[in-house]
Amino acid sequence: MDLQKIIPYRKMSLKELLIPENKFMAFVAVALTALFLIGVGIYLVHGHHAYGVTRQHPWGLLIAVYIFFVVSSTGLCIVGSFGDVFGFKDYMSVSKRAIFGSIVTILAGFAVIAFEIGHPVRMMIYNVLSPGLTSAIWWMGTLYGIYLTFMIIEFIFLVRNDMKRAKVAGLIGLLVGLAAHSNLGGVFGFLNARVVANGVFYPTYFILTAFITGIYLIFLMYGYKYRGQDFPSDIAKALTNFMKIQGLLLAILMFFETWKMLTGVYGGMPERADVIMHILHTKSFWLGEVLCGMVIPFVLILATKGSAIKKMVWASFIGMIGIFYMRYDLVHDAQLFPMQTLKIREYQLPPSFVEYFPSSTEIMIGIGGVGICLILYYLGTKLFDLDTMPEHH
Amino acid sequence: MARYGMALDYKNCINCKACEVACKEENGILLGADKHRIWVGVKEIEGEFPLLSIASNTFMPSQCQQCDNAPCQEVCPTHATYYDENGVVRVDPDKCILCSYCMNACPYDARYVDDRTVTVDKCNFCSDTRLARGETTTACQATCPTKVRIFGDLDDPESELSQVLREREHFTLKTHLGTEPKLFYLI
Ligand code: SF4
Ligand code: SF4
Ligand code: SF4
Repeated sequence: MDLQKIIPYRKMSLKELLIPENKFMAFVAVALTALFLIGVGIYLVHGHHAYGVTRQHPWGLLIAVYIFFVVSSTGLCIVGSFGDVFGFKDYMSVSKRAIFGSIVTILAGFAVIAFEIGHPVRMMIYNVLSPGLTSAIWWMGTLYGIYLTFMIIEFIFLVRNDMKRAKVAGLIGLLVGLAAHSNLGGVFGFLNARVVANGVFYPTYFILTAFITGIYLIFLMYGYKYRGQDFPSDIAKALTNFMKIQGLLLAILMFFETWKMLTGVYGGMPERADVIMHILHTKSFWLGEVLCGMVIPFVLILATKGSAIKKMVWASFIGMIGIFYMRYDLVHDAQLFPMQTLKIREYQLPPSFVEYFPSSTEIMIGIGGVGICLILYYLGTKLFDLDTMPEHH
Repeated sequence: MARYGMALDYKNCINCKACEVACKEENGILLGADKHRIWVGVKEIEGEFPLLSIASNTFMPSQCQQCDNAPCQEVCPTHATYYDENGVVRVDPDKCILCSYCMNACPYDARYVDDRTVTVDKCNFCSDTRLARGETTTACQATCPTKVRIFGDLDDPESELSQVLREREHFTLKTHLGTEPKLFYLI
């Protein structure tokens, strides 16, 4: 079987493939991946004891990092779909790179979650043999598996310049991806016992923030590619449009957040108001989520009327830090309130919120995931032509 | 085929923690503060001396509520958590993938990770120890010096449990969540 026939790639020697043009990024990617491997080594020896997770805070940093990556993937899928699925010409030039990005980010996410789930192999077996159809995790996992398959198929067709088939695969991938991603929100939204997480907020918020993340990432990918030079006109046009869309999306997000906090605090309902007040007193919310994730990029977009696409690359970097905090906080916040109420007495305010801080092993695997993502992305840029798109209309 | 439940005459609890020890011993639960199927909640005395509220100082023994509509079962992606033929919520360690979703979903913090199997564990009414041997009491019940626990079949109207639930007022915990606990606190 000739791989070249299935997916046309650039033929090159291993040496060519492994010599990067940017030594610094190569170093970062390899160093982070090394951290990942060290972390995994420690985990394989000590299991979850190497993590900071506890009985009352069973989900930690790695769940947050997993969400961070799959949000990125869904976002890039949405961004990429503008061109090749919906056929908007202005966005066509970024489709292939965005779709490739969505594949590498979800692969990095899977790599990380494999070391958080206690028995990933067993998961694949029993997900099929005894599916728990009432479980949001089952749906999320299964749908993401299907999603990844279709994203790969879409990418293959894109590389083969078969736009018709790419469009079909892309549409299915997008729809399944949106379903998968809102199910991930549902994983939290379904938790009746966790008042701050329960409800419609997370499933919708996940889709909104995915879109926002996708736009940040597309800026980062092109900002990196065209560092120190001007964007080609077609890319510049797509990015300018995305920057304006981002302004709108960030405004919606701030509106959502405001009302989430207001309804959370209003009336002082136990387990909800106190948790929200606690969140409102954390730096990670104000500096991480609000300042980095929303305000700085939003101010730049407003101040420049959405035209400063070079500056937006930096704002997107800051934005991604904010996005990370959003993921981390949402996992942590959902578990803040101790369920041990009974161990004190029902409806009695517990003495303290549940504390958690990631262990060094979790941190190594978590940021190591970024290394995996960078290496996969690098290989993609070397092996495939991620830029030229056929004029198909 | 039964529908097992338990009543707790919780005001009789003297916080001796014999049930915690008996459960560990009978079911081989590993040592460690986090590793427990059963616990006694202590509420400290309120107020400033000499105006101490003695009434506020209570002990609340508890364990998995064996919910009839169990969130932990609902969220389990592989059916590792299931209702057995006696209505007991059990975990099948061969199927549990340790996603910890159930630990997050349980409103009562009844679940923990068992390092023997590296899966989630919780009270199962001694189903694979005492009940499997044909006994009719649980370890925590048998050991209790003040007879706090009454274990039995809710479907059998003649059982001691059914009788006491007919005769005495009782409540369940976090009833508003719709989990339909089968642990009843006697007033
Ligand atoms: S108390 Fe918790 S672990 Fe026990 S059945 Fe109910 S939800 Fe499940
Ligand atoms: S940790 Fe095990 S029992 Fe709990 S939800 Fe996951 S697979 Fe089911
Ligand atoms: S019924 Fe058995 S397993 Fe459950 S808490 Fe009592 S002793 Fe432990």
